[in-house]
Amino acid sequence: MNAQAATPGVLAEARWPEPGDGAPPPLPGFVHSTFHPLAAAVAERCLTRRYGERPAPPQVRCAVVLASVAGDRPSAEHVRATVDAGGRIGPLFFFQSVSNSVAGHIAARWGLHGPVVCLSTTEDLRADATAAAELLLYDGDADEALLVLIEQASDGTPTGAVAMLMGGGTGS
Amino acid sequence: MGEREPVPISGMHAVSALGRGTDAQLAGALRGAPAFRPVRRFDTTGRRVTVAATLPDVGTLPDELAVAIDAACRSAGLTSVQRAESALLLATHGGPSSQPGAFRADRLVRTGTAPTADRGRITVTGGSTRGPGDGVGPAGRPAPELVARLARRCGLGSPTRTYASACVSASTAVADAAAMIRRGDRERVVVAAGYLVEPDQFALFDAGRALAVDGAVRPFSVGRTGLLLGDGVAALVLESTVATRSRGVEPVATLYGWGRAGDAYHPCRPDPAGRGLARAIGAALGRAGLPAEAVGYVNANATGTGFSDASEAAGLRLALGDRADRIPVSSTKSLHGHALEASGLLELVVTVLALRHGKLPVNAGWLGPDAACPLDVVTGAPRPVASPYALSLNAAFGGANTALLLGAP
Repeated sequence: MNAQAATPGVLAEARWPEPGDGAPPPLPGFVHSTFHPLAAAVAERCLTRRYGERPAPPQVRCAVVLASVAGDRPSAEHVRATVDAGGRIGPLFFFQSVSNSVAGHIAARWGLHGPVVCLSTTEDLRADATAAAELLLYDGDADEALLVLIEQASDGTPTGAVAMLMGGGTGS
Repeated sequence: MGEREPVPISGMHAVSALGRGTDAQLAGALRGAPAFRPVRRFDTTGRRVTVAATLPDVGTLPDELAVAIDAACRSAGLTSVQRAESALLLATHGGPSSQPGAFRADRLVRTGTAPTADRGRITVTGGSTRGPGDGVGPAGRPAPELVARLARRCGLGSPTRTYASACVSASTAVADAAAMIRRGDRERVVVAAGYLVEPDQFALFDAGRALAVDGAVRPFSVGRTGLLLGDGVAALVLESTVATRSRGVEPVATLYGWGRAGDAYHPCRPDPAGRGLARAIGAALGRAGLPAEAVGYVNANATGTGFSDASEAAGLRLALGDRADRIPVSSTKSLHGHALEASGLLELVVTVLALRHGKLPVNAGWLGPDAACPLDVVTGAPRPVASPYALSLNAAFGGANTALLLGAP
C-alpha cells in the first residue's frame, strides 16, 4: 500500500466547452439534464489526451472521482415536481438519480477499475476533489484518478465541466 | 501510524426501524423480525410497492444526524477539545433535501415556516405530503452546507467532506477516514451517515422496479423480488491507536482493513463475475494482513435483487475461494431495509454489535437456496460467532464496491 505516497501530478486535463464546442453530445440512457453528458464528454476528452484510444492500460487502476456542489439538480427538481403533482417518473431517472451511474459509464467505457467516488463539494471543486483523489492514491486502491468536476450555476444548472487525470507519472 | 496498524472505533450510534441506539439495533438484529410496514409518512398511491422500514417517530435528517454524532462522540468519551480536533465525513444524498420533516406516530409534527393551512397533516389520498424539510427552504441547500452546519452544531473541526456515492457513500467515507488517520492527517475522524425514507427516492426506486413486490427482502434466496428502503442514521468515531491509548479508552471494535474497487462493467449493473467486489475484499484483507481463512462472517450487501445477489456470491467465491460456501453470510438489509447512502454505516454498526455479542444475525425472508448463490446463509436462528473477524460489504450503481474488515477490539 501507499505506493503513491509522493505528491501526484496532473497527467492530462480537459474542459467542456473548449473553443468550438457546442452542447455536449447526447448520452444514451441519460435524459433531461446536461449533467451526465457533460461528465461523459469531458472525461472522454481528458482520457483521449492521455491514452489516445480506449481502453486505459489494464495494469493501471484508475479511480473516478466525480464532484459537484449539488449533483444533477435539474433532474432532481423534475423528480420532485413530478412526485408533488402525483405523476409517474420515467424509469431512466432511477438510474441517473445518483452521479455514480455516469461515473460507472466512464469507468466501463475506458476500463477504469479503481474506486468510484462521488462527492458533493464546496464551491472549490478542484481543491475538494483533488484532496479526495490524493488520499485515494496515497492509500493505494488506485494508481491514477480521473477527476470530473461539474460546474453549476447558483440554481444548479450545469454550465461546464473540467476533467483532470492525476497520478504519479510525469505528465507526458 | 504503521502501515497495517488497525484503526480503533471508539464510539458509535445508530438509528433504524429496529429502534434507537445500539442496544435496539442488536436486539432487533437478533430477533430476526423484519421491520417493514406500510408507508404512512407520505402518499404512496399509484406505487407498485407501498412498504418500507420506517420509524413512526423521527426527526428531520439534520436533527437526527446531529443527535447521532453527539451520541457517538459521547460514547467515545470525547472532550470538547477532542471534538474540535476531529474531522467530519458525511454520507448522504448530494442533491436537494427531500426529507419530509419530523414525524410523531407517522404524522408530520414540526412545521417550521410552511405557510399552508393544513401543515402538520399527512395527506394520504393524494397531493403533496412534503413538509418544510430541514428548514433550509423548499429546494434545500446543497449537502456541503449541511456537513458544515453539523460540524459547527456538534463542535467538530475540519476538514469536512460529503460523500454522495449512492450505496457505498458511508463505507467509502469509513475507508477514507481510516486512510486519513493512517496518513497522519488527523488523530480522529467522525463519520456520519443518514437516509430517511422520503417520497422522491421511493418514487424513483418504484419507477425503476427495484422494490420487492411481495413486501419482503430475501437476500440470496430463491424467489427474491427486490429491495425495500429503510431509515438509517448512524455515526462513529475512528481514532488512531495512539489516541485511544493516550485517552485510556477501550475501543468498541477495530477496523482492520478496507478496500474500494470498481467493476468497469456497466453504469448501473454489477459485473456478474463479481470482480470489482473481489478486488475490494482482497484489498481489505491485504491491509489487515489477514488470510481469507480469518473471515468468520460476512454482512453482505445483498439487497434481495436477483442479478445483484448472484454477482455478490460470485465475488465472494472469487475472493475467498472454496471457503466462500462455508463462511456464514447474511444481509441485515432483510431486517432494517436499505438505507441507501447510510447503509454502509448502519450495517457496520450491526456487524460490530453482532461480533461483540457473539451471535450472527439471520438473513430474513429466506425461502430456499438459489443455485446462483452457493453460500452458507444464516437462516432460522442466530449462529454463534466462530471468528473475531467479519466483512461488511457494500456495492452501488457505477460498479462501486467496498469491503470493510472489522473485528472485536
